[in-house]
Amino acid sequence: MILARHADALLWTGRYLERAETASRSLDYAANSITGLRADEARAEGELLVKTLGLQDELEAVGPLDSRPQLVAFLLSDTDNPGSLVSSIIAVRENLRSVRDRIPIELWEEANGLYLRFPFLGHENTPSDLHEVLLMVRRACLAISGVLNEGMRRDEGHAFVLVGRMLERSIFTVGLLEASHSDPRGALDAGRMLRLTSSVQAYHRQHGNAPDFDGVVRYLLNADDLPRSVMSCLVRAEECLIGLASGAVALDRPRRRIALLRSRLEFGDLAEAMADAPGSALLEFGSELAEVASDVQAGIAPPATLAAPRSQYLRPGGPA
Amino acid sequence: MSGNGLLGPAERLLDGYDASRTYDEVFDADGSVRGHYRQIVERFGELDTAELDRLEKLVAGEFRRQGITFTVYSEEAGTERIWPMDLFPRLIAAAEWDELARGLSQRVAALNCFLADFYNGDAEALADGVVPRWLAVSSQGFERNAVGIKVPHNAHCNIAGIDVVRGTDGRYQVLEDNLRNPSGISYVVENRAAMAKVCAWLFDDHAVQPTEQYGTMLRSTLESMAPDGRDSSHIVVLTPGIYNSAYFEHAFLARSMGVELVEGRDLVVDDHAVYSRTIEGLVQVDVIYRRIDDDFLDPVSFNPESALGVPGLLGALRAGNVTVCNALGNGVVDDKAVYPYVPDLIRYYLGAEPIIDNVETYTMWDPDQRADALGRLDELVAKPVGESGGYGVLIGPHASEQELNEARATIEAAPREWIVQELVQLSTLPACADNRLEPRHLDLRPFVLTGERTEVFPGGLTRVAMRQGSLIVNSSQGGGSKDTWVLAHESP
Repeated sequence: MILARHADALLWTGRYLERAETASRSLDYAANSITGLRADEARAEGELLVKTLGLQDELEAVGPLDSRPQLVAFLLSDTDNPGSLVSSIIAVRENLRSVRDRIPIELWEEANGLYLRFPFLGHENTPSDLHEVLLMVRRACLAISGVLNEGMRRDEGHAFVLVGRMLERSIFTVGLLEASHSDPRGALDAGRMLRLTSSVQAYHRQHGNAPDFDGVVRYLLNADDLPRSVMSCLVRAEECLIGLASGAVALDRPRRRIALLRSRLEFGDLAEAMADAPGSALLEFGSELAEVASDVQAGIAPPATLAAPRSQYLRPGGPA
Repeated sequence: MSGNGLLGPAERLLDGYDASRTYDEVFDADGSVRGHYRQIVERFGELDTAELDRLEKLVAGEFRRQGITFTVYSEEAGTERIWPMDLFPRLIAAAEWDELARGLSQRVAALNCFLADFYNGDAEALADGVVPRWLAVSSQGFERNAVGIKVPHNAHCNIAGIDVVRGTDGRYQVLEDNLRNPSGISYVVENRAAMAKVCAWLFDDHAVQPTEQYGTMLRSTLESMAPDGRDSSHIVVLTPGIYNSAYFEHAFLARSMGVELVEGRDLVVDDHAVYSRTIEGLVQVDVIYRRIDDDFLDPVSFNPESALGVPGLLGALRAGNVTVCNALGNGVVDDKAVYPYVPDLIRYYLGAEPIIDNVETYTMWDPDQRADALGRLDELVAKPVGESGGYGVLIGPHASEQELNEARATIEAAPREWIVQELVQLSTLPACADNRLEPRHLDLRPFVLTGERTEVFPGGLTRVAMRQGSLIVNSSQGGGSKDTWVLAHESP
């Protein structure tokens, strides 16, 4: 039986791990795409990227990003920005550190190794080999995922990491789709959406033709064979929560909400809503996902007082 | 060193090695290599400086990769330091270890007898004047709240770290008893793991007692401490959290036993029982291996400011629903003021002569001893009784006249707070310094586990002063460590 604090740390490990991987991929793409653009174009691109990553509030605190170095610093190394790559890596390490006794040694070593490979931690400067750094991060994240999948016991801890990752991933994907619909410049075209979700190859193998916008949106929402699709994420998160909620009854609420969201995808309710107002339908769907994430965290929280019913005492022969 | 029979690169690595200043673990008085070190010296003799440098970097990288660290609170930046380990191992011959282990068991047995007598018995040792009553009850480590709390098997000290040193005559002597929260065992195990990875070839010529069984030994000890009548015991390790200097060790202990590492906020007391907060509800805890000082364990009964402890824990302890290891109040024998009386406690409780002696110690509350010691303080070592980690220690021969005078005045003002000891020129062992091997002083902290029975873990933490001539071996003050090999058989 997992301590509530450990469950919380592992949930956030999953979320921050996903955030680090997403941020590195997005930043790599954005850093290339804005090279050579005019200042106003670069700013618009940067703002779009910030929006897809859900960091508008953090951006407001630092003001507009007028240049590539500013954008890179904000997303890469700004430790005041909780969504920056460095912040995510630090958070992964700190969360894993607090559960060091229950995770595989290799998992800790990979996370610690990723942290130690950041010589510019705490510096504002952009590394000259940005692409290499971001590639290294993605590979390290994959290595961590590998240890998680192959080296960690399939216990509650593993389930919480997975729930965290799947929720974070689905929130990002829905956010990306919403941004693509609401961007007046139409900059987030089908190709860019696929690249930002590492889905180009998978899409082409299945559809074999040039991506069309609506087809890609459907693919990223519903594909049951794409690990980054919202459907795949919800199915996996739901499976984990079914197991967890059998012991922790408070987790039944987010499980039911995820099941509802999945069924809205499965039975076309979301698609129907998107036919009229895609942006607002996706915005609402994303908000509900964020609420589910909050529900999971609330379901983990240990009893705040001793008013917990005695039936929760699990030890045979405990207080009657 | 000349005349040690080494040829080639070893002469370079050991060139100028001076083993004459005190007892050297490797070389005897006439410069010959002691028998059990012969192969190690030969193996190191095959290394050149570049290889030595490479191996040192590999070991440091191993610790860095695994995040094996300790924290130095006094430093403003970079408080988390990579654990320092020197490559040249310390070897203890089998017979030598057997004798040492017997002495350690004996000492811890007597200390446990005293603690049981003091907190749960009639305090006979005090009544009979073995330890002055006023001294024991004035100890900062005396915990009034611990009086009357029953402890399974009367084992108050389940994990003891006894610091031993060797002086110029090579005899082991006890320097300090650590019976509250002795740390260092994780580094013992990790030192061995790192050595086995990086210098596996060094082990080829020796049968060395393993170290990886510590978790099993500790778990078995703690299981035996469960309150009476429990079929199985739910054990947790209680840590102050990830920012504590020994957090790595706390995680190591929990992992190696396969139990949860909890913080105070993970535990709750209800109806005089302790429960851990899991996502499924509350689960009763039977044994808490705490790595938090007494003062912070329970804000209701001790320091009300403590956010690290568990409110109500003392009540659960008194009700006999949980065992806290080490027991409350062990600080009374950690107190250096009680240390001079331990040999008498061994005689009193066990009816035997101490197998390991104390370092000659002068009690400053005795006017005659004080006058004599202060008169030659420049030859002696003065220690505050309540400090640990080497803090506050004055080494007479290394102190200025002003420092000596200040120390004399301080001791005169509060003699209860000081002991003065003969200076032990700690034994030396080769250590890597600037790609050479130079003598460095060292001590040893073996660990003794006591539950239903007592076991001495083979070896211990060898701490080494990394500065030439320094007698301060504490890692918090720049000391390093060595892998400690207890040889299973005498080397040929």
